[in-house]
Amino acid sequence: MPREAEPSTNEQAFLLSALRENIRLDSRAFDAFRPIDLSFPGGPDEYGTAEVRIGKTRVLAKISAEVVAPYADRKFEGVFTIACELSPMGSAAFEVGRQDQSEILLSRLLEKTIRRSGALDTESLCIVAGSKCFHIRADIHVLDHDGNLMDASCLALVAALMHFRRPDVEIHGEEVTVFDVRERDPVRLAMQHQPFCVTTSYYDGGAIMLQDATLLEEQCRDGEIVISMNRFGEVCSIAKYGGTPVDGLSMLTCTNVALEKVKMLDKLVKDSLAADEKRRDAGGLMAELSAENDR
Amino acid sequence: MPLDSSIYTLSALRLDGRRWNELRRINGQISTQQAADGSSYFEMGNTKIVCTVNGPQEQKRGGGRDQSNEAKVEVEIGIAGFSGVDRKRRMRNDKRIQEMQYTISSAFQNTLFTHLYPHSTIAINLHVLSQDGSLLAACLNACTLALIDAGIPMSDYIAACTTGSMASYADKEDEADPLLDLNGLEEQELPFLTVGTSGGEDKVSVLIMETRVQMARLEAMISVGLDGCKQIRSILDGIVRAHGKKVLESKVS
Repeated sequence: MPREAEPSTNEQAFLLSALRENIRLDSRAFDAFRPIDLSFPGGPDEYGTAEVRIGKTRVLAKISAEVVAPYADRKFEGVFTIACELSPMGSAAFEVGRQDQSEILLSRLLEKTIRRSGALDTESLCIVAGSKCFHIRADIHVLDHDGNLMDASCLALVAALMHFRRPDVEIHGEEVTVFDVRERDPVRLAMQHQPFCVTTSYYDGGAIMLQDATLLEEQCRDGEIVISMNRFGEVCSIAKYGGTPVDGLSMLTCTNVALEKVKMLDKLVKDSLAADEKRRDAGGLMAELSAENDR
Repeated sequence: MPLDSSIYTLSALRLDGRRWNELRRINGQISTQQAADGSSYFEMGNTKIVCTVNGPQEQKRGGGRDQSNEAKVEVEIGIAGFSGVDRKRRMRNDKRIQEMQYTISSAFQNTLFTHLYPHSTIAINLHVLSQDGSLLAACLNACTLALIDAGIPMSDYIAACTTGSMASYADKEDEADPLLDLNGLEEQELPFLTVGTSGGEDKVSVLIMETRVQMARLEAMISVGLDGCKQIRSILDGIVRAHGKKVLESKVS
């Protein structure tokens, strides 16, 4: 495996001594994120692609839907899968076709955050119980890796899910008609809540805590705590895999900081979605053509 | 719902007759396998685990490529097909198991004095014979015992346990009592987390939570968990001391 070159001892010492004087190398505050840019590339009929840039980190999420038979033990639920791809484009340390440790952790974390917490209502994806349902597939592509992949991927995934629309269906008995995007306006996915990941990196046994670490900061850290929660203050998952032990109390301060960040991310996604809608709805025709019912 | 919370509040007893802050029966043995450098057998209620440690030894693959000055901790978990309620073959590349392996290896990487053994590996093998909740916690405890048996220097025990919270919905906020050491049934119903401590004074080394829970509950859950870890640490310490005594006596006579 081509390993990432470790930062030199000088670099590490410089970064750590700067942190001990409350300075980050890019002059951010400890709990500040780099500038986040969220965009929805694609034409007017294309939904479900989101690109996130946090500083130099760049992640693309793409959602697609197809009609499949549901799992035999879950007849009333659709299928939702998340696939992560860490290609060599993102970093020289990623290899094609081999499941690397970070890839497994990333996909497990996204799975826990989005799937296990029930963010996407899979029952709404059922078309005919036991025979037909939608399979929603989310592909995460890391285009550039400069630290904080977790937060960026989670943000991209949630934004893409909220942006995505599946084709509308009509059921007459056993007969199912799936309408093309041009025939009927596609339908949004039923999201129950929007969880976001916030990663905290710590140094000096928990004395220094950073949000949104860059790659260099990640390579020098003692360990990380990934907290995912939604804006209502429900924690969906916490992951602190080993690393240097930290104080039990500082875990709680971490969740408080995470809540603040999650609210910020939530607002960012909502604003970007609204701006995107405005851009697509240039003529004001969409409201008239919509087949969606008010609930 | 098998866990009727109204019954719980009346008698303040859980399904298996424990109170909220009681651990299950914990039993451990050291040096159970002759072939391994260190081994242990650990029971937490009905969760039963055999752990073997080999090493520190020379790296098996990729000889000479490793430039680091520390020993690597490699963990492998085998879950027996008969260990759960339904017989299921678990694939080796199951992501949940790989995540557990990573958790255990990175927890011990920082607790063991790995810098004493450069260019070598410490291989930990865990065999789950029976599972009834608190799997990760039991694995961590079993590893601690086996590593002590293998004589690998470490800064402190890693002691782990799970804590849950009664009532998983916001409308029952007043009933949200924390529970210590969940069994398999409780784990399916309630939000829970696994805490692992090392280094004393409430230092958290591992904290994994996978279920949704209100933020306000976390504080109670973590503090109950830390208390449970303290109890487990003293139980582990008792097991190690009892074993040490036995070894010494057999040497003298």
